[in-house]
Amino acid sequence: MPDLPKKKVGIVACSGEEMAEGTVTRLAALRVLEQLRPNETVTICLPLFLAGGEGDRAFARFYPTIAIDGCDKRCAARGTEMYSGKPAASIVVTDAIQTNHLGTARRLSEAGMQAVDVVAEQVTQQVDELLGVKWDRKQGQSSKEAQPAEGLEAKIATCSCGSGIPIQKVQLDGQEVSFIALPLIFEQFRDAGKLPGDGTTAELMETVKVYNPIPDGQEAAYAQAVTREYTAFCQEKN
Amino acid sequence: MNRVVIVPCSGIGKSYGTVAREGAYVVTEDLRPDTTQLVPLSLLVLGDEQARADVSGAQAITIDGCKLACATKMVAESGGTVAHDLAVLDVYRRHRNLKPAGIAELNKGGQRLAQALAEEVATLVDEMTGEVKNA
Repeated sequence: MPDLPKKKVGIVACSGEEMAEGTVTRLAALRVLEQLRPNETVTICLPLFLAGGEGDRAFARFYPTIAIDGCDKRCAARGTEMYSGKPAASIVVTDAIQTNHLGTARRLSEAGMQAVDVVAEQVTQQVDELLGVKWDRKQGQSSKEAQPAEGLEAKIATCSCGSGIPIQKVQLDGQEVSFIALPLIFEQFRDAGKLPGDGTTAELMETVKVYNPIPDGQEAAYAQAVTREYTAFCQEKN
Repeated sequence: MNRVVIVPCSGIGKSYGTVAREGAYVVTEDLRPDTTQLVPLSLLVLGDEQARADVSGAQAITIDGCKLACATKMVAESGGTVAHDLAVLDVYRRHRNLKPAGIAELNKGGQRLAQALAEEVATLVDEMTGEVKNA
């Protein structure tokens, strides 16, 4: 996967309001997002897959995601897969915790708070595995810190509500096709001095394909359209 | 009469989402436990049959934490009737001294804002059910 804006892992919690396990997912997600791996993770509210825009629905195709569910209905995992993309990992509280005394959805008991610790730790391990980094416990940071792309960090903050993934609509054989992350890819290529041309097209398409499935037999048409858009992008920036 | 369905946003990125959630608990557990019912948004996202039935067979009050209004949109999409849609930000505008902070744990201002929100919802519930109570 290319080094686009700093690679992060998306966390999607079910947040189920009616059960203590739902609160465990919510607090465990927040523990990871705010304390354990704040620079490596980002989240989105589950309902935004339906209520939000195309950029929101692209979330799990852009970020490798970890779904955290309170029960075996697995709303977060199934909802993410249904509307966005298959989660890279899935954790269910009732599988991870062997107690029924978590408190209430509104107020977790001590056992409930311990469950938050356990689930948060599991999520953190998954984050590290997905990012392929070793966590330096002494330093309190990953041993190989990735560098965020200039100017992009603020756009993709902890909460993705309303920001979504940048989408660009491209005319292709008379139809409008949405490309995920295309503006970011163009920006990265241009910043690297890779100008439009035959040498760049192949590499550009390899990157584009990471986030955008290309139908069989349409590679050439897609490459032509992306190259055209990239040329226009570079001309606009000059 | 069916209970009034309360659907809060399940926002996880902002304090307003937590206020919506906490306010919904105050209404359904403390203020109007006999006339309201909490329906989780995640079940509506998944199209859970029971949750959809609960929503489609009753009047709903939605509580949204941001302008994207997920709760309101999801209830409408699930075949429900949104009798009232409240935005936490609007409630905050009416109570500017109650500034919420924190997501995992609300500050005092956030807790009091959730209580104020819940009292507004309770009043609406009473109007809908024809009951008069002191919130």
